Amino acid sequence: MISFPNSGFVFLKKLMIRVGGACLVLFAAATLTFITLHLAPGDPVTAILGGSANPTPETIREIREEYGLDQPLMVQYALHIWHVLSGHLGASFSQHMPVTDVLWQQAPPTLKLMLSSLVLAWVFAVLSVTLSARKPFFDSAFSSLETFFAGLPQFWIGIILLWLFAYQLGLLPPAGTHGFSSLILPSLSLAIPLGGFLAQVMRESFKTTLDQPFVLTARARGLSDNAVRFRHVLRHALLPGVSLSTWAVGALVGNAVAVEFIFSRQGVGRQLFLAVSMHDMPLVTGIILFISVVYILASFLADILYVIVDPRIQEARA
Amino acid sequence: MLARNTATHTCKAVFSSALLAALCLPLAACHKNKHARNATSPISGGTLIYATDREPVCLDPHVQGDMPQVFVAQQYLDSLVSMDKAGSIHPWLASSWDISPDGLAYTFHLRSDVTFTDGTPFTAEAVKANLDHMANPATQSSTAGGYIRQYHSTEIVDAHTAIIHLSRPYAAFLEVLAQGFLGIESPKALARPRDLNCQAPVGSGPFRIVRWDRQNRILFERNPAYHWAPSYALHNGPAYLNRIEWRFIPEPSARFAALQAAEVDAIDTLPPEAQTPAQHNADLWLLMADRPGNPTNGTLNTRRAPFNDARVREAFLRSADIEGALGSVFFHHYRRAGGPLTPTTPFYSPDFEHAADYNPQRANILLDQAGWSAKDADGIRTKEGRRLTVHIPLRSSLSNSERTLWEQVQATARETGFDVLLENADDTSVNAREGQWDYDVRIGYWNTNTADVLRIVFSSEFLDAAGISGHHQNESGFSNSYFDRIVNEALLTTDTEQRRNLYYQAQKIASAAFLQITTFPQTTRLAISKRVHDIRLEPALNVTTLYDAWVEQ
Repeated sequence: MISFPNSGFVFLKKLMIRVGGACLVLFAAATLTFITLHLAPGDPVTAILGGSANPTPETIREIREEYGLDQPLMVQYALHIWHVLSGHLGASFSQHMPVTDVLWQQAPPTLKLMLSSLVLAWVFAVLSVTLSARKPFFDSAFSSLETFFAGLPQFWIGIILLWLFAYQLGLLPPAGTHGFSSLILPSLSLAIPLGGFLAQVMRESFKTTLDQPFVLTARARGLSDNAVRFRHVLRHALLPGVSLSTWAVGALVGNAVAVEFIFSRQGVGRQLFLAVSMHDMPLVTGIILFISVVYILASFLADILYVIVDPRIQEARA
Repeated sequence: MLARNTATHTCKAVFSSALLAALCLPLAACHKNKHARNATSPISGGTLIYATDREPVCLDPHVQGDMPQVFVAQQYLDSLVSMDKAGSIHPWLASSWDISPDGLAYTFHLRSDVTFTDGTPFTAEAVKANLDHMANPATQSSTAGGYIRQYHSTEIVDAHTAIIHLSRPYAAFLEVLAQGFLGIESPKALARPRDLNCQAPVGSGPFRIVRWDRQNRILFERNPAYHWAPSYALHNGPAYLNRIEWRFIPEPSARFAALQAAEVDAIDTLPPEAQTPAQHNADLWLLMADRPGNPTNGTLNTRRAPFNDARVREAFLRSADIEGALGSVFFHHYRRAGGPLTPTTPFYSPDFEHAADYNPQRANILLDQAGWSAKDADGIRTKEGRRLTVHIPLRSSLSNSERTLWEQVQATARETGFDVLLENADDTSVNAREGQWDYDVRIGYWNTNTADVLRIVFSSEFLDAAGISGHHQNESGFSNSYFDRIVNEALLTTDTEQRRNLYYQAQKIASAAFLQITTFPQTTRLAISKRVHDIRLEPALNVTTLYDAWVEQ
């Protein structure tokens, strides 16, 4: 769909830069995780043994050896980076299973939550922006609604939704990860503020585009109001929304921690919180790397979407 | 403890039941019959959804050994012996046993008709594999392994006779064997790597683990071959339930809401604020019991000032209004535990319940005597220019209600002139501080079904017994050779009266030394739908057992 006239080399160079940059991000994430966990006070051995511990000294020695905790810090760091580079995420000591298995089990519910929130946010934003320009009343109503939504913290929305729809009305399950019904409230808690943000950003460029001469031309050609709005103007308004969505993917994982907690949902967010409080280095690293990869992929995807939405970008780059 | 209606609810209830009766009249005949049948005799089949707060980190209770693990273990594991409510030991997987006169060899005669759910027969080999597994440092067992430090080896006499050799006499041995933490697993499954066994351990119990979906649920299925129930059970033969879905809902109000919405059939750790609504809900019944052991407490560090002075310790205990705090924080649903043992512990004596009741006048006199007679501008007592400061580290996993309880202690102790500092930190940091004796009060509890807990919590053997960053089980730093002699003597004899006498003295010494502010007993608190019958608590640790449970269809 996209052609690269005489630009094989340029493309390769760009790709290399992107891949190199991605590796750098991953390396930085792994290093920062290591430093942060080692700066935190406390001994992971106590975390590994958990609750009411009454272990023998042999048990403790065994743990130190098994997880390399008896090695000097630099050796631990070198081993850590080596494992990350060679793709061995190791075993989580708080979960007693390989980190990849934990991710395999916990990532799908979080990705589902992120995706459904993103879709809901986009639906709200597009509706809000396109409807607004129709009547002045809609405009002021929707723009204040957007500002209100964008200002709400996710955890607060989560608690209010939980109280209203689960506790008071009993329409939706208050907790758990089973089926579509348990996905609705958590997705809404994440989608509402994000939708507000997206709409605010898109509204601005939607308005400026409406005043552009080509819109007048389009109307002069006899296109209907809807066709003008959806086929021509919305396209321009989408661009800032697409780049904001990349950022939002990162933010969604962060906010998923709170939402997964409130709704007792499965997911990497809640798992990350538990792993950090247990000083579970392999698992924390695994989850941070996973989030970094999702983020990198999202920004690749945004680049591609940019080109699809606005082919002029490709022409300019080539 | 069934639901009760208050006067205000009665009127509404009469009206709504009249309405309900009118609506259901055409159905009444058949429904009534069905109900009558259901209420009397158990029905086989169906799924029970049980929701609890904490998820275990490993389903094998030998590894680590925290309370959530034993709750799961009770459904799929059996033990060598069982314990009744009075504390007597009964046969289970072992049909009888002999103890050598020197108390060092326990000969177990095992049942010959037991098979694990992976098809492995239960033999003396299995007993050896299990005890070796608990004692093996690689298992990383802190509870089961810690309770059998005296274990030396298992000798296999024949397929159904095993002799367990101990290095020292240990009269509490049978008691700890009755705990689910020391449940017997399939030796074939135990031979797998530890982390693999954690995912899906295998027992001989009434249910078997089918799947563990982390942060969501565990699925159990009935063991159709089961016919070796313990004596405390209501029936023998396979369990009534086809399946158990064991869900994790950490958020207390969400858990209770899920029960009210009939999303789940029973919940664990009913939050105190939900107890009154639960009692008034005609669709629910409650099941509660105290767990034996050392109750929830703040242990005073006697190794440094100010609590190296017994008078200051007593003054602190007497200036903390625990009864008042329990009333306001737990809505009068939690009783006070005043002595070093919870009432459900064998050899518990009620004589020490009121040894350190709230008495600020006495506290003031004691502090004056101890030299903390001056007060600074804030009203905090001082001695030689030092303020009477008490550092209490609070771990992040501490429940909100317990946190509030300690805020109340802070407020009442301030009136006598204590400056109580509640210092919040994550669990690992608090562990590290505890390891270095860097605290004045340490918040904790110890659930176990034997008075031998006194030895673990107060004897000098446990001052630096285990070495996690210098961690210790004797958190008070109390060291008294007379006390040590008594609790060790109690392990030498299996004579009940002698043990009772020795543990009485041990409770007396611990209580008179003012080592702990004991607050409330650890409690199993279940709220259950009326559709569900016969959920029970296994008596050794008062842990939920679903073996006898059945649901109306």
